[in-house]
Amino acid sequence: MTRWIKIIAAFFTSLTGLACFLILLILGVIVGDILVHGWPHLSWEFVSTAPSADLAHGGIFPAIFGTVALVLIMTILVVPLGVAAAVYLHEYARQDSKLVHLVRLALQNLAGVPAIVFGLFGLGLFVRFCGGSIDDLLFGGKLTIGQPCILWAASTLAVLTLPTVVVATEEALRAVPRNYREAAYAMGATRWQVVRYVVLPQSVSGILTGGILAISRGTGDVAPILFTGAAYYLAHLPTKLNDQFMTLGYHTYVLTTQSPDVEATKPVLYSTALVLLVLTFALNFAAVLIRSKIRRKLRQT
Amino acid sequence: MKPILKLDRFSAWYGDAPALRDVSLGVYPNEILGVIGPAGGGKTTFLRSLNRMNDLVLNFRMDGTLAYHAIDLYRSAIDIATLRRRLGMVFAVPVPLPGSITHNLALGPRMGGAADDLQARIEKSLRAAYLWEEVKDRLDLSALSLSGGQQQRLCLARTLMLEPEVLLLDEPCSGLDPISTAKIEEALQALKKDVTVILVTNNVMQASRVADRTAFFLQGKLVEVGPTSQIFVNPKEKVTHDYISGRFG
Repeated sequence: MTRWIKIIAAFFTSLTGLACFLILLILGVIVGDILVHGWPHLSWEFVSTAPSADLAHGGIFPAIFGTVALVLIMTILVVPLGVAAAVYLHEYARQDSKLVHLVRLALQNLAGVPAIVFGLFGLGLFVRFCGGSIDDLLFGGKLTIGQPCILWAASTLAVLTLPTVVVATEEALRAVPRNYREAAYAMGATRWQVVRYVVLPQSVSGILTGGILAISRGTGDVAPILFTGAAYYLAHLPTKLNDQFMTLGYHTYVLTTQSPDVEATKPVLYSTALVLLVLTFALNFAAVLIRSKIRRKLRQT
Repeated sequence: MKPILKLDRFSAWYGDAPALRDVSLGVYPNEILGVIGPAGGGKTTFLRSLNRMNDLVLNFRMDGTLAYHAIDLYRSAIDIATLRRRLGMVFAVPVPLPGSITHNLALGPRMGGAADDLQARIEKSLRAAYLWEEVKDRLDLSALSLSGGQQQRLCLARTLMLEPEVLLLDEPCSGLDPISTAKIEEALQALKKDVTVILVTNNVMQASRVADRTAFFLQGKLVEVGPTSQIFVNPKEKVTHDYISGRFG
């Protein structure tokens, strides 16, 4: 009897351990495979030059540039919007109000919408409606910004990552002790001053964590930008908000599915995937560095 | 003498639960009013009604009148932020904000838009709170690194930075050692010449030591209020006597 109990216990211990090992294994295989196949083709030339028109030769610099630009614009759009929404929800709105309930419900649903639907939504709302309207109103109907471009692609990604930022920010705001708010109110703080001097400084690192998650998500996603601005091949870099752009994610997709000679583009494909991984880690790492710097600064004052 | 604060049949509820019932009371300039009574008797509700901190509680409602210099606080269009600067509050648990001692002290004036002459005011407030000698060489240190007693005196100094007319103290010594308690009591005696103090305390002896007048609250009602010596030696009500002599509470 006791022997059986011991055997069952050992079995389940190894089962849970195996599950953890599997996670490591999957990550190891993905990273390992990409590293082994992607490394040989990698060179300074590869990351600093443009691809040839048949995609089998040349580099991927425009895609790196496009990815970074896209994610930066997305971050600039989503962080202020998400933080403002979370501050309103948590600090201003009455917690029992219908509006708060509705916004929370909307956020949950937004988080569950498939990425490709966001892509179509971005095409309809941003490219056609916003862009089209701006063209009609400001440019006399001349096609200027009413087309797929980096601004609308970044906007679509911002909508996609909005729930992440709002939820992370709310989490951070909730962690600020009620005591602190009361102390500030008792010092004659207005609601805005409580937010500005007490709540936001205390929650900045949690807010940045939300930003980091959004960056991770935005760097690699292809579906939302498919119709809203990503280009198959561009001879020049985007310099204006209404330019199209290349990204590493989309470039990977194109290399896989659209290449005339799959075998010839394989090394390029692997190296592109490797660069995409490295870039995602690098953007994350940069955000983590900024966060710890701000944390240190806050601790000193 | 005209009262600074005057309550007339003031009642308060949290939701349906009554917290104060028909309290009528005047608070006079430059006195220390001790407020005693068992837990749940309405002392804190009374205190937090005065600077309208109870507005932050969702289901709070009140009836009757509360006048501050003859201004009806709950019915006139007053600026609540300004009111809370005139009636400064110190909480039971010390709440230093993260940041340096200087940051804590400068925050109030900064938020009020009157941050001139800060250094001198910081020294003055810290001296008045009997903390200056202990921290004068380390004003840039984190306020959280201070001891509990020092933190509470910092909170007192932080409130004094607002140059309030009335100090509302909610059991300010409840978690403090006897030495820190003595320092705060000493500070209050000295402050009396400039401000009016309302001191809610669970420690009956503290009221007898520092209060000029003492009010006894029980189950949301003001049982009696009078000169401290009279309340302690010859109270009108038997319950007051029972509470003071430690028979309940």
